[in-house]
Amino acid sequence: MMQCAKRFAVAFVHRNRWENICAESAKTCRWSAARVIHTSSATLEFHEYDKRSGYDTGLDYAETRTERIRLALKQLKKEIVLWKNEMKEMLEADPILDYRAGEVDIFWRFHDHSSLDKWIVNCDSDHALGFSKCDLKISSQGYGLFSGNLCSQVPKDGKIQNSGYCNILTKRVAKSFMRDSYLDWTAYTHLNLRVRGDGRSYLLNIHVSGQFDITWNDVFTFILYTRGGPYWQSVRIPFSKFFFASKGRIQDRQSPLPLHKISHFGITVSDKADGPFQLEIDYIGADFDPNHHEETAYEMYEVKQNYIIGT
Amino acid sequence: MNNVLRTCRGIVSVSRYIKVNRQSAQFVEREFHCTNSCFDKNPKVEVISVDSFNNVQEKNKQTFLDMLKMYRMEKFRSGHVEFINTAIKHMDEFGVNEDLETYKRLIQVLPAGKFVPQNYLQSEFMHYPKHQQCIVDLLQKMEDNGVIPDWEIEDLLVKRFGTRGIPVRRYWRMMYWMPKFNNLSPWPIPKPAPNDPYELALLAIKRICSIDIESEVKVYETKLLEESIEDTWIVSGQSPDQKKLVANHPENVPIYIEGGFRIWLRKQSIIYFILRTEPTQSKENEKEDEDDVSNFQVPFFDKPKTSNKIVRKKTLHEQEDGTILAVAATGTSSKNSLLSWIRLLEKDGNPKLSSIPILFTSKSPLGNVEPLVELDESKKQVEELEKKVSIE
Repeated sequence: MMQCAKRFAVAFVHRNRWENICAESAKTCRWSAARVIHTSSATLEFHEYDKRSGYDTGLDYAETRTERIRLALKQLKKEIVLWKNEMKEMLEADPILDYRAGEVDIFWRFHDHSSLDKWIVNCDSDHALGFSKCDLKISSQGYGLFSGNLCSQVPKDGKIQNSGYCNILTKRVAKSFMRDSYLDWTAYTHLNLRVRGDGRSYLLNIHVSGQFDITWNDVFTFILYTRGGPYWQSVRIPFSKFFFASKGRIQDRQSPLPLHKISHFGITVSDKADGPFQLEIDYIGADFDPNHHEETAYEMYEVKQNYIIGT
Repeated sequence: MNNVLRTCRGIVSVSRYIKVNRQSAQFVEREFHCTNSCFDKNPKVEVISVDSFNNVQEKNKQTFLDMLKMYRMEKFRSGHVEFINTAIKHMDEFGVNEDLETYKRLIQVLPAGKFVPQNYLQSEFMHYPKHQQCIVDLLQKMEDNGVIPDWEIEDLLVKRFGTRGIPVRRYWRMMYWMPKFNNLSPWPIPKPAPNDPYELALLAIKRICSIDIESEVKVYETKLLEESIEDTWIVSGQSPDQKKLVANHPENVPIYIEGGFRIWLRKQSIIYFILRTEPTQSKENEKEDEDDVSNFQVPFFDKPKTSNKIVRKKTLHEQEDGTILAVAATGTSSKNSLLSWIRLLEKDGNPKLSSIPILFTSKSPLGNVEPLVELDESKKQVEELEKKVSIE
């Protein structure tokens, strides 16, 4: 009993519970004395426990209780301001009524340092999964500069098979008091970006995290091809082109991008070309094209299944 | 199936384990005990050792295929999975990771017909899981290297795992998605990409110049210049618009040679340089108060007033962070070759360049700049000279 509880505690503390439970049970079983065939592993791993899939959040909580209370009160102040603004907005009741064709509404722009607060920057070396480094800053000309060094060298721990990614992601869309919320882009048909890349291809990720654990990692993705060179490049990608993926795997059953429940937006670089990269971003926005009627660019018909289970 | 196993455990398993299971509902471990005597043999030695691929002297496609052939010639073939897994690890060194034929030969290492499930249960519960997983890994390797499979691979896989095999399903997925992305890039790069820096530079400069459809990409040889020190090539791109901009450039405003910047062509990169000036200041629209009648102008008698609201349309090359006048990549990326580039541009339709001050800069507002090794070396030389002087 004690052993089991300890095992569970160890697994709970560790980052990836699945791996550690397996490792622990392998250690405790005496293979030489009793030959055992494991028919199934721990059943408690059926669902996902946290939205970060075991990766640390990077949030520093205060050590002491008083410090925690102090921080909470500080946060409460900010949240009340947010709530006040929300209420004001609700009473004003002044939504955009007309989306004119060809007019780009900008969602994210990089002009001052406060605009960087909306973004989270991470790469594989943050989680000890690789050696890439990256940074998002404001360039001397006043644009967002996502740059760094991509390295696809795999750490020799025997588990990791692939490595080398850098990523920027907006914070979770939320209302005051940290209530989860969604962006509503249903009025738009195309994503618009103005970028200056370095010839690499980047991934544009639109996260549509849902309520249930199997939908936490739902992402609609498309490739951003950059020209490279000194010239700026305007990119316009229809939302219908975005394909559905989860945890880095394209899914068999595609669906149109649910534009009413967008939770994050992100840009990833992981094209296996080791070396420095840089992507300058002027703005990220969307526009409406009345002549664009396509919902999804991928086949929606049911294929006759000649296999029996799954997928 | 699970029920069957559960009952088995109830009968066979040791009470110790049952206790553990009952007490911790959160950690259920289903185990199945067999007699020891069946397993008390020495573990099987792997047929293919790690070294067999390492020991090959010449590493190329032919020797890799020879290794596969040698394995297939053995009388009792066993350890297919180990062999394929080892072979996959060594594909990069042998330079066959983008070669479709090699992948086919690797699949053919598995015998046809042996692993095809014969009934529903087998096909439902992943018949020969290690063999299937190893071929799935092989397909993953193909995907990572951008190798699109063909119909022959489908035949090979169906013969080995049946139509319901997991590798076959994965193959179908690949055949749906990979051709969709294969030709998606607006700036295609030939496959396989050239290794020659000259070819790469041509591709890169053409790619940068694709913004202006009129721009011409030219190749200059520095030996055509009398005063040039080194013999190398320069790939330069300039459009008629840019030539006009140079011709209209004021003589007191300097032009900068900036770089090197990096451009990526799939997995290779090339250093390029640009010729840039500060952006042209757009004249501020003087705000005119139209209601003010103190200085009333009569259009019949006064000079017609030129409106400052009409401005010349900016070319593509005049961006808010600078005007780009030309782009180039040279064989040596050295300061001398860039000087030759300016001289050659001067001869080739930009005579004005001789009268405009031209500066080398190691910083640029257009993002990060790669330091030039040659520049560093010249600095070192200077330092060494200074040292020598100090000793004397």
